Amino acid sequence: MGRLRPGHLVEAGFWLGLCLFLYVYSFEFDKNIEIYKFGASGWPRAIILLIAIAAIGQLIHHYVKGDESSSQIISAAVDDGSEEAAHEAHHETVKWYLSTFALLAIPFIYMRVPEWIAGTAEPGDAGLHTARLIVAAILIAIVVYFIRHHRVRVALMFPLFFAALLEDFGFYTLAPFFIVGVMYLFGERRTKPMLLIMALIFGFMLTMFVKILYVGLPVGNIEPFYSIGSWVVTVLQ
Amino acid sequence: MDAFNNFLQGSVTLFSDPINILIFLGGVIGGMLFGAIPGVSMLTLAAILLPFTAHLSAEQGIMLFSVMYCTGVYGGAITAILFNIPGAPENAPTAFDGYPMTKNGQAGKAVGAAVMCSALGGVVSTIIMMAATAPIADWAISAFGPPEIFALVFFGLAVAASVGAKTFWKGWLSILIGLMIAVVGLDPVGGIERYDFDMPYLLAGIHFIPTILGFFAVSEIFVQAEKKVRGSYTAPKLSVDFPSLSELLAHKFAVIRSIVIGFFCGILPGIGATLAAFMGYNEAVRWSKTPEEFGKGKLEGVISSETANNAATGAAMIPLLALGLPGGALTAMMVGVFQMHDMQPGPLVFLTSADLVWVVFAAMFYANCSILLIGFLETKTIINLLRIPFQFLAPLILLLATVGAYAVRGLTIDIVVMFLAGVVGFFLRRSGYSIAGIVLGLILGKIGEQTFAQAMQMLHFEWSGFFDRPIAFGLLIAGFLTLCGSIYGAFFKKTSAPSSTGSDSPPAPPPPGGG
Repeated sequence: MGRLRPGHLVEAGFWLGLCLFLYVYSFEFDKNIEIYKFGASGWPRAIILLIAIAAIGQLIHHYVKGDESSSQIISAAVDDGSEEAAHEAHHETVKWYLSTFALLAIPFIYMRVPEWIAGTAEPGDAGLHTARLIVAAILIAIVVYFIRHHRVRVALMFPLFFAALLEDFGFYTLAPFFIVGVMYLFGERRTKPMLLIMALIFGFMLTMFVKILYVGLPVGNIEPFYSIGSWVVTVLQ
Repeated sequence: MDAFNNFLQGSVTLFSDPINILIFLGGVIGGMLFGAIPGVSMLTLAAILLPFTAHLSAEQGIMLFSVMYCTGVYGGAITAILFNIPGAPENAPTAFDGYPMTKNGQAGKAVGAAVMCSALGGVVSTIIMMAATAPIADWAISAFGPPEIFALVFFGLAVAASVGAKTFWKGWLSILIGLMIAVVGLDPVGGIERYDFDMPYLLAGIHFIPTILGFFAVSEIFVQAEKKVRGSYTAPKLSVDFPSLSELLAHKFAVIRSIVIGFFCGILPGIGATLAAFMGYNEAVRWSKTPEEFGKGKLEGVISSETANNAATGAAMIPLLALGLPGGALTAMMVGVFQMHDMQPGPLVFLTSADLVWVVFAAMFYANCSILLIGFLETKTIINLLRIPFQFLAPLILLLATVGAYAVRGLTIDIVVMFLAGVVGFFLRRSGYSIAGIVLGLILGKIGEQTFAQAMQMLHFEWSGFFDRPIAFGLLIAGFLTLCGSIYGAFFKKTSAPSSTGSDSPPAPPPPGGG
């Protein structure tokens, strides 16, 4: 095995798997262009080939030299402390990665599951709205359960979940909870400063973007969140 | 003389419009603050501001970014010297001697040297930029066709891949991911849909603004979330104490050497201010008669690093404005500003928007001068602002990024893409890949494919056509040599130990961030 670790094999496997997927998918658009003999797939396939070569080169590098960097100066220049932070926080185990990816599925569950339950993707459908409310409530309960003990994992998933909910629940309803949630994930526990900062940030965002710059932020689709968002916009503008 | 007149004209345009002055001051202070606050960088601020530059004119947008670039590179030196926490990677070598100077009670002198040398390096670099960019652009109009531009893109990517990540292979993988992201959408010749997965959103390609916001602003927040276990810092008392003229003269060779190193690192695509600072510091150690004193609080260490990183800023604008090719992450974002105003950076900008170019040049010159003024007057205020706990800053940054991503097209999917890019960026960064490399690949990918297609059509699909074009051929050879050198280095040269376990001399950089 040389100086290979299981992580190195997973890394190489990921890149080569991605190459295979991208190459197979490239047949979907493998069409001739009269004035260009390489066609639409020539350039992407060349990149895929180079990715595969680089992935194999990386695997050989790991086999021969383990985690050593290519050059001392370059290593120092590109080191932003993120590898070290991961190492210190013991966030490099397979278990950590698996549980992180499991948590990261939450936003995508919200984006897909309500439509399956309601059997429709029509935006105005009442059944779809109810399904979205129920699924959102369940997922929020799961997030609240995990937030105390898996801060980094939840910190990765939390903004994505916020983004997934924005279309239905609107910026004006979700933003205050998002601000408090992020502060909590970064270790803040004092209620009064959290509420004060939340009010300051939310107030700044509304004044700056809604009142001054007239940026139309998402108001949501589901009642009563849609009405709340519309009311805030009406009052400010 | 023409250049001087144009510079005066640019200065008048800059200071005759109150909005321009406001943007200039905002850029100077914003760049310095975001450069100084550990956990974020000027790139974070640039990524957040990028979508909103659509509300500004093209010259105001580019000016804002170039001013932030100058002051942001300096800003990180303050925390590097005072707390051993470089505000940005390009200030990491400053901490090697700056922090020991603080411990020796010489913080004021170290900050003063950083202020003076950053301003000096930046001003000299800007003057050379003003003198050199227009002639290079003039020459490029006649000498650079699609084959040359493609060859230059190849050379730039080869250099960027060789220096941007922990290993050569990871550097290439980073660039190639960027190139692959750029493939999504319609192909530039036949308009055929590629990798759209039957999603209408992907037909127009993955928008670079949410991607850049995710990779830079959001992934930085995630990295900081992981670093929170390390605790925080407290701000010491400080007075700025400029080095005397004799002290500065004693280091004149270090200053000149670092300006030369910084300038060449800046002008070569893909290297940038970070490597300039490390090379400047490294050369100072190598040339010194007392190398053993470095790392223990030697003024020359601070001078070399800070002169080199600021000298890279003016030089980095030359390939962008003269040839239309960005050399680093921030200049890649400037390409985004141009594109948002339906403009292409490159030699023609000098013909079509000479005002823009000279306002930007003037703004960069004054931004570097203002480092001296603000560094002297406002360093204490900046230190007080650094007391803002990161847990209060993080939600603000994430919400600004959210609004920025949404404001571009009014699509919530852009916000999802941004946060997804943030998660991907987080995992790639902790594995030693280069985020800047990905963004460079993304921006240069579209230019590269388009110019390659045009070049091949021009050359009737004969590869040998490149041999008849000396510039294109030379650049391709230079790219291949860089590539071969890197491959040789990757397999046959003795390398350093992994960074997490420390390394020998020169001293390993302290971890940036953590506050």
